Amino acid sequence: MLTAITRAFRTPDLRNKMLFTLGIIALFRLGSFLPTPGVHVSNIQKCLAQGLSSDAAGVYGLINLFSGGALLQLSVFALGIMPYITASIILQLLTVVIPRLEALKKEGQAGTAKITQYTRYLTIGLAVLQSTAFIALARSGQMFPQCQEEVLLSQDIFPLIVMVLTMTAGTSVIMWLGELITDRGIGNGMSILIFTQVVAVFPQELARIFRSNTFGFAVVMVVGVAIIAAVVFVEQAQRRIPVQYAKRMVGRRMYGGTSTYIPLKVNQAGIIPVIFASSLLYLPQLAATLFGNTTNPNEVIRFIQTYFANNIGNAYYMTTYFLLIVFFTYFYVSITFNPVEVADNMKKYGGFIPGIRPGRPTAEYLSYVLTRLTAPGSLYLGLLSLVPIVALTLVDASQNFPFGGTSILIIVGVGLDTVKQIEAQLQQRNYEGFLR
Amino acid sequence: MNRLRERVRRLLQRPGTVDLAPFRRIVRAAGEREAAVAALDDEALRAAVTALPTPFRDAELIEFCALAREAAVRALGERPYDVQLLAVLALLSGHVSESGTGEGKTLAGAIAAAGFALQGRRVHVMSVNDYLARRDATWMAPVYERFGVSVASIGQSSTSEDRRAAYAAKVMYAPVSEIGFDVLRDRLVTDPAEVIVPEPQVALIDEADSVLVDEARVPLVLAGAAQGEHAAPVIAQTMRTFLPGVHFEVDDERRSAHLTERGTATMERVLGLTNLYGEGHVEALAAVNTALHAHALLRRDVDYLVRDGKVGLIDGSRGRVAKLQRWPDGLQAAVEAKESLPASESGEVLDSLTIQSLVGRYPTVCGMTGTALAVAGQLREFYRLDVAVIPPNRECVRVDEPDRLFATAQEKQDAIVAQIVESHRKGRPILIGTLDVAESERLAMKLRLEGLACKVLNAANDAEEAAVIARAGECGAITVSTQMAGRGTDIRLGKGAAEAGGLYVIGTGRYPASRLDDQLRGRAGRQGDPGASVFFVSLEDHLITAHVPESTSISTWTVGHAQRVAEGLNLEIHRGTWGYNKLIEYQRSLVLTHRDRLLREDLAPEIIAGESPEDFKRVRTEVGEKVANRAARLIMLHHLDECWSGHLAYLGDLREGIHLRVLGRQNPLDEFNAAAVTAFKRIENDTRTRSAETFTLAKFTENGVDLEASGIRRPTATWTYLVKENPFGTEAERILARLGRTIRGGGRERA
Repeated sequence: MLTAITRAFRTPDLRNKMLFTLGIIALFRLGSFLPTPGVHVSNIQKCLAQGLSSDAAGVYGLINLFSGGALLQLSVFALGIMPYITASIILQLLTVVIPRLEALKKEGQAGTAKITQYTRYLTIGLAVLQSTAFIALARSGQMFPQCQEEVLLSQDIFPLIVMVLTMTAGTSVIMWLGELITDRGIGNGMSILIFTQVVAVFPQELARIFRSNTFGFAVVMVVGVAIIAAVVFVEQAQRRIPVQYAKRMVGRRMYGGTSTYIPLKVNQAGIIPVIFASSLLYLPQLAATLFGNTTNPNEVIRFIQTYFANNIGNAYYMTTYFLLIVFFTYFYVSITFNPVEVADNMKKYGGFIPGIRPGRPTAEYLSYVLTRLTAPGSLYLGLLSLVPIVALTLVDASQNFPFGGTSILIIVGVGLDTVKQIEAQLQQRNYEGFLR
Repeated sequence: MNRLRERVRRLLQRPGTVDLAPFRRIVRAAGEREAAVAALDDEALRAAVTALPTPFRDAELIEFCALAREAAVRALGERPYDVQLLAVLALLSGHVSESGTGEGKTLAGAIAAAGFALQGRRVHVMSVNDYLARRDATWMAPVYERFGVSVASIGQSSTSEDRRAAYAAKVMYAPVSEIGFDVLRDRLVTDPAEVIVPEPQVALIDEADSVLVDEARVPLVLAGAAQGEHAAPVIAQTMRTFLPGVHFEVDDERRSAHLTERGTATMERVLGLTNLYGEGHVEALAAVNTALHAHALLRRDVDYLVRDGKVGLIDGSRGRVAKLQRWPDGLQAAVEAKESLPASESGEVLDSLTIQSLVGRYPTVCGMTGTALAVAGQLREFYRLDVAVIPPNRECVRVDEPDRLFATAQEKQDAIVAQIVESHRKGRPILIGTLDVAESERLAMKLRLEGLACKVLNAANDAEEAAVIARAGECGAITVSTQMAGRGTDIRLGKGAAEAGGLYVIGTGRYPASRLDDQLRGRAGRQGDPGASVFFVSLEDHLITAHVPESTSISTWTVGHAQRVAEGLNLEIHRGTWGYNKLIEYQRSLVLTHRDRLLREDLAPEIIAGESPEDFKRVRTEVGEKVANRAARLIMLHHLDECWSGHLAYLGDLREGIHLRVLGRQNPLDEFNAAAVTAFKRIENDTRTRSAETFTLAKFTENGVDLEASGIRRPTATWTYLVKENPFGTEAERILARLGRTIRGGGRERA
């Protein structure tokens, strides 16, 4: 991988693409630190430090993780790439619901371009909503309930409007940066920016662990590297089901089915089950915070408070989390990979798995393999997600152990994709020594 | 500055168009020189033209335009309009010029070609068929003569001497496929003196949109004779008894067919197999699949004709028997078996070339057509060509009537006939554009029942078609034709036709692209002639049923939507094909460069001497250096060619199922490229070792090496053909797109 990157740097146009991408990332980070006009910078830093060491550290840590630390500082890029992602998900769902959008999608490139345009409009709309909400929170002091400092310089309406406008504009710029990377850089812009956001908090987090506990830091590093290596290994694991296309080559030997296959990944579901499971488990936490302040909480709330909100390093939470992830893995795989559809598809175009009849037998076979493959896949996802919690209990590291399941999956996923893309581009240019 | 302008154009929704202002200035200045140039005698005119310093800059272009106009006046008695000179300038700047029918594209093209030739560059004017190439070359010869520029043309039947002579001319007119075939044949020569096609310099493409967009992905194939390919007659016989829905099923779009359980069982019984899909029966299964395809999907008289005991493919877009086209991969043989015809010769693919790659060989490309703006984006994306929209000399007054919409095909048919009867009564010339040959025939029959005489253009030869279409503007003429037939020939209005309202163009259905509609409409209204056009569309039209199957009522929006879906699909397929071809193209160029070195230098003996020094030394002392070197060269060329065609076959196979990689969230194109690169690296090594092996075992005589005995046989006969769009391949691309969207959808949620 490293050799690929060094070789890429020796290829002029690839080097330019990579430098361009790095430049965009730098801009993106700069904007994440740049405070929005009207923010009291030193006060907000104080409140943030206080928040991260308080009881609610988990929530703040999570928000920080997904906004690259920008949101809680109310910077220009406070909203990050999230509004864009949300907007594209919403539009994708809408294409199923609204016939006109579906029709547009069918019209190919021209239609997709229009949908992209709508996505951009929606992103701006969402950005206005979200920035207004956050600034309202900051203004009322609810963003950091424990902190007494004033985080905004002024409570007047005009500066607030300027702040909303700035953040919205920031979101549009992020959107543009992402598209620039996709167009002229390396990799998928959106993924690269998410990757940046996730990685950005690492140094800070690690430094904090280092300051509080040097031995813990060493353990975290060793375990972290080991986990990353393991994840890289599993993410690339696949079962290849050979497929043959019965097509006649005149006067030529048939090539075996070695190059034509269906690659079934061990982790066919990717990261979604983890996200689903953690969002679902976040609900009881939320409920507990909303209703938990009553003087006399009932049994259920007390149970939730004990096992699902304050201290999650217990068997109840971990078992539930694990089972949910396993469930969602199967669920997601069954949604995204429909063996019947794949079998029909192959049948239609003359493809078959050697020895197995097309149609139903093929679908059954695929389904059989997939089910068996998903078992280790789901266990892997579940275990990976438990790592930070276990680490928390064992080493007493901070709750936002940076090598958590979600962040590692994002980092490794985007990293692998990008390196693969670099290698692919490299390969097409690099015919060193060939036929010269 | 340029980029800013491009931005503005994008904002105005006109990407890839050229600003004509600088050209206008030149044309105006040329107009001022007109009188001065007219005073020159013929000799002085030629001297002035040849004396122009090259390359042309603005001053030279002004002078050139003025001289060219005068030359055209003297040679043809035609004074080029200002707009024609605009087109000339656009062509000389390497753009695609768009100007309507009857605006004198041929002359503009000739002047531009001469302009390139005078700057010392060789020009290939690519036409769509033999007839047009020959006609234009002959027609424009006097113009070229005034410039002292040599001109020639070739066609299908040209001998290799003719070709060699033609390629030596400064300007050569040829059908685009012929140039492609010559390029392909050249890559088989074993002697540098046999090479026919010189280094490509300028391509000027007539009907640029159909060549560059519609036909761009059609592969031209070079094949060598191989063991006869026989479709087992028993399969075809069994297939004849098969019924749709019982033994096989056809998908909604009539694009693919597959056997049912019952069909499979019957086939297995007939062939005596227990499991058709078992290991080792791929050949049989492939034969069954192609036979099924031939039986279920290809319709006689729609997709092909049987004439003189041969199967002739009907080119869907031109409605003409494509003499040079074949179906790929045994499908041709399967169709012949279906029709109980003797199997025609067939062979292994030695190399192939798409028209897009052929055009890509030329450092300078320009083109002209009547409809380019609609594909400006594609021309920009695939060829880096901009479109110059040339205004008409006289404003077009054709009336484009809104579409007439009908619920059923029957109602539509009746309305078309009624409309024709009515317009014909007024003596108005009518041109009816149909979607395919079968429809032309049906309509002609109906018209005859109504007592109307009509001319039908169907897959006859180009020259006859041109003659018929040229008379389509006469009073009372009714001409039925498919969309492409007779392109390149103007329809001039006959006496009294203008008073009757001019040519009335009736389309019996919208085409899969609005650009094709416009081509048909463009038949009427040349040079300010009166005229009108109208399309009849029904809910049962293929365009609608294929692309908007869910619609229950017809509206203008439905029709437009169906057309946009079709256009989107075609673009996606084009882009997909091109994506996969780019790498193959690059690899081919590497192989050809290497081959060229083997051919012209003493590289082959060096390599063989390096591989097996003893054997080479032994042979050299035995038969002498010259014979040894020649043998080494022939052997290496043979193995390189063989490795390459093997590589192509491998890639074809790989391509077939690469879309399945999407299921593992991999990018099929990247995966394809990775596999292709790995396989390609083997070629060099294989060529070396196999050549050394052959050389060691070869028998030498005084006359040279006995290659036959070494198992090296040059293909005794080679022939070339166009592949009818791969019926399986494009399907794969479509699933790819669909699966890709599904998975990407999931992926995005994941992100």
